[in-house]
Amino acid sequence: MLSTQSSKLYMQRLVDILLTFKEYVVLTFLIVVSIILLNSNDNSQIRAIRSYTVGFVGATQDFISVVPNVFALKRENEILRQLSVNLSDEVNRLREARLENMRLREIIGLKERTTFKLVAGDIVGKNTHLLRNTITVNIGEADGVKPDMAIISEHGLVGKIIAASDHYSVGQIMFNKDFRASAKIQRNRVDGIVSWSGGEIVNLENISLMQDIKEGDVITTSEYSTIFPPDVKIGHVTKVSEQPGSLFKNIEVTPGVEFSSLEQVFVVIASVDSERVALEKKVARKK
Amino acid sequence: MGKHFKYFFFSFILMNVQTYISQLISLRDISPDLLLIWLVYIAIKEGQMTGTIWGFVIGLMFDLSSGSFTGLSAMSKTIAGFTAGYFFDENRAPLTLGSYRYVLIVLFVSLIHNTVYFIILTRGSDIGLLKATFQIGLATNFYTSAVALLPMFVFGRKYIS
Repeated sequence: MLSTQSSKLYMQRLVDILLTFKEYVVLTFLIVVSIILLNSNDNSQIRAIRSYTVGFVGATQDFISVVPNVFALKRENEILRQLSVNLSDEVNRLREARLENMRLREIIGLKERTTFKLVAGDIVGKNTHLLRNTITVNIGEADGVKPDMAIISEHGLVGKIIAASDHYSVGQIMFNKDFRASAKIQRNRVDGIVSWSGGEIVNLENISLMQDIKEGDVITTSEYSTIFPPDVKIGHVTKVSEQPGSLFKNIEVTPGVEFSSLEQVFVVIASVDSERVALEKKVARKK
Repeated sequence: MGKHFKYFFFSFILMNVQTYISQLISLRDISPDLLLIWLVYIAIKEGQMTGTIWGFVIGLMFDLSSGSFTGLSAMSKTIAGFTAGYFFDENRAPLTLGSYRYVLIVLFVSLIHNTVYFIILTRGSDIGLLKATFQIGLATNFYTSAVALLPMFVFGRKYIS
């Protein structure tokens, strides 16, 4: 009887304390929920909720984006006209080069390279606030877009899809702390990894001091990535330096894509080569 | 209930405006945090508890719409709402909202918000915490505070004159 009374008393005191400090209790509870969310970003339920939100917010942003930006449209028109002239000239030269390439590959018995299906989309929202650096595109799963598909533009690599709903998707651009891409230097085929550490440049990492790298070298995606198609331009080297004590060079790369004026993109519709992924996983497990 | 629906509705609209106008008024990718200005308004008008809860809701909405780092804005905006709630005074709320005190509170809360935000964001990445906090964080703080002058003038006309 006494113990029941004392436990009730304790409970009452606990409730009183919680009520006195209710603001702190709520704050602690919400911070704990936030930490749980931060640690379960890849959880399927979180992904599903994110997908619904992307669809809902994407539709709203699409609606808002009909407000025309006259200055941007005029500038874009001029750029497109110039680009069209340059591209028609380049197409002619590439057509010749392709025929030659096909003949040469046939002679040495190499397979024809796969061409990827591209789906074009308009950017309806850009979230560059506080280094989030994502874009919302008005194409989604109904168009064949899925997470981990590459996003490119006529100037090169843009990023990859990280969430998709039926008609909208969110892409992570190169200027994102989680962005990584296998890359190579076009001139001498040296491999490295492209990542971002702030600012308007990306870094090419894991390039040994022995390698010959020059400013102006073009960086493209390599064949090693399961997400990005090979030979898509990433940018060009703008600075090469060496840090005392480091085995690798510091290489700064300026992306080919101008993210601030980017308005249209293409998503590379390519399914992951499951046989290759399975084999690579198997080998990694054995190690 | 109607009041909370209004808060949700405006938060949603502001979240979209934030994403859209960041293309138009950003200066070297620095854009004002409209949601934070709105959150400080809620906290000053309704108190610490409401500010904390709405901080979480607004942050979570922003996290989910941006497709990554779910929980990051939820946490930083929860703390921001809680901090802004310290300046709640039922009798002086209209005065606070319509004076320079509102802008100073936005500046202070923005400072706390961005520090928490960048501590988590830069964890395990190549981005330097000091570089992010001072270059992007401080610039965003001042830009956000400057934009908070607009609602301050509106509240000043509405509540004080």
